[in-house]
Amino acid sequence: MVPAAFLALLALVIWQLVVVAADVPAYIVPSPTEIGQELVAKGPSLVSDLGWTMLEAVTGFLIGSGVAFATAVVFVHVPIVERAAFPWAIVLQTIPIVAIAPLLTIWFGYTLVPKVAIAAIICFFPVLVNTTRGLRSVSSQAMELMRVLSARKASIFWRLRLPSSLSYVFAGLRVAATLSVIGSIVAEFTGADRGIGFVIVQASYRIDTRLMFAAIALSSLGGIVFFHLIGWIERATLRWPEARQHNS
Amino acid sequence: MSRSDCGAGIVLDSVGMTFGGDNPVTALRDIDLTIPTGQFLAVVGPSGCGKSTLLRLVSGLLEPTDGTISVHGKTPEEARRDVEFGFVFQDPVLFPWLRALGNVLLPGRILGSRSPTHGPHTEQLARRLLMDVGLDGFEEHYPAEMSGGMQSRVALARALIYRASTLLMDEPFGALDEFTRDRLNLQLLDVWEKARATVIFVTHSIQEAIFLADRVTVLSPRPGRIVRVARVPFPRPRPLDLRFEPEFGSLARELRALLETDTTMGAS
Ligand SMILES: Nc1ncnc2c1ncn2[C@@H]1O[C@H](COP(=O)(O)OP(=O)(O)OP(=O)(O)O)[C@@H](O)[C@H]1O
Ligand SMILES: [Mg+2]
Repeated sequence: MVPAAFLALLALVIWQLVVVAADVPAYIVPSPTEIGQELVAKGPSLVSDLGWTMLEAVTGFLIGSGVAFATAVVFVHVPIVERAAFPWAIVLQTIPIVAIAPLLTIWFGYTLVPKVAIAAIICFFPVLVNTTRGLRSVSSQAMELMRVLSARKASIFWRLRLPSSLSYVFAGLRVAATLSVIGSIVAEFTGADRGIGFVIVQASYRIDTRLMFAAIALSSLGGIVFFHLIGWIERATLRWPEARQHNS
Repeated sequence: MSRSDCGAGIVLDSVGMTFGGDNPVTALRDIDLTIPTGQFLAVVGPSGCGKSTLLRLVSGLLEPTDGTISVHGKTPEEARRDVEFGFVFQDPVLFPWLRALGNVLLPGRILGSRSPTHGPHTEQLARRLLMDVGLDGFEEHYPAEMSGGMQSRVALARALIYRASTLLMDEPFGALDEFTRDRLNLQLLDVWEKARATVIFVTHSIQEAIFLADRVTVLSPRPGRIVRVARVPFPRPRPLDLRFEPEFGSLARELRALLETDTTMGAS
């Protein structure tokens, strides 16, 4: 944490020095202090826009991850469904969301739906892949133990598969958390009346580079906070020693 | 006593096991073996001769490619579905997210009312078992915080807690020092004498096999076949220094000689 903050500070200082020394105009690259002033000046409205974007991102994240998790559970228990559906999950993953976003905006207008949907779609794949792997990561010996105990499927799931999968699931969720913010911003580009994506588009029309940088910084902050929130939940949930090694 | 009311017991009738695949491996061949109910059978044999496979066959985790097995009149799968087996695997196979106590309580959680020890005293019983295997004070430790030998003792307690009628033990004390091993051997005999369980006990130690068992089965190198089933003549309860008796020593030498003879000898 401290080294990372130091690196950031170093980068900001160099940035400031270069911009000032080379006399780069603010509409091309503003200096960190100018961006800071912008953040302070537009603070309240930017934070409210960020709030909307995060609301979309988190909602999409919950829906996309939830559906992905349920799909993974089905995949693991009914392999034929996996063989039928997984190729299409890959197809869904390869379609650029930039291409789907305008479509969804045509269908659903300037509502929350396209943003939430894009965030959900972008979260789906990493969570699906990681959860499927995690649910399969059960050792054959542990499975034999369950068979000796004549455990039912439900009990194998809750007592063995789910706990073995959790480190994988959280790895997927952390990736999904950052992606979901990107997803909702991209959806906002294609039609919105608020949110960080909307601010960025508006600022770009006015070549308001300072505002753009401020908005970008805030959206990145949102993603970082979300990422660490998931990490914090993981540490609070997975308390056994091996799990701690993975996520510390 | 009930030890002789065999009738059923565990019966293996010309059992063979060949693993398929690109290079098929015959792990066991022509195993004929009857273990009367309540008997303690030890199995010794060189590494890779099919001892673990034998336990998996008896418990219905694997199906033999030849011959038949019956366990108290049932097929191994039926007996397994009725939770007749307590199984100590070669590795401890503990769940890393459960503490020692949680791992010992796991069978009860899964079996619920199907476990004969189900009830309000289960946790007390689990703590007692952990104490019996010398792990008092470690109830709240995670497997990663315990040594290999301690983990295998947790696995032993986990196999004992639901009082299965048949205990299958795959080198349960392999990772232990001699003193702990002695103590657990006595403990195991105590449990066995009270519970009248049928035991198949795999070990690399001839001494341990003779000390514990009613009969010792010696397997040949792969494909494992029965070279000899030796009856152990010593009365019970057996004192620990039994192994310094000349008779004990000569039986041990005899069995060791069988293990050292050439692989091609086959069954006698
Ligand atoms: N699932 C499997 N698939 C293929 N081959 C197997 C399988 N399990 C065991 N074998 C083979 O069967 C043989 C016997 O294995 P087994 O584990 O029963 O030996 P073992 O007597 O328990 O050895 P050790 O004393 O080293 O534990 C080995 O050659 C092994 O490679
Ligand atoms: Mg083995």
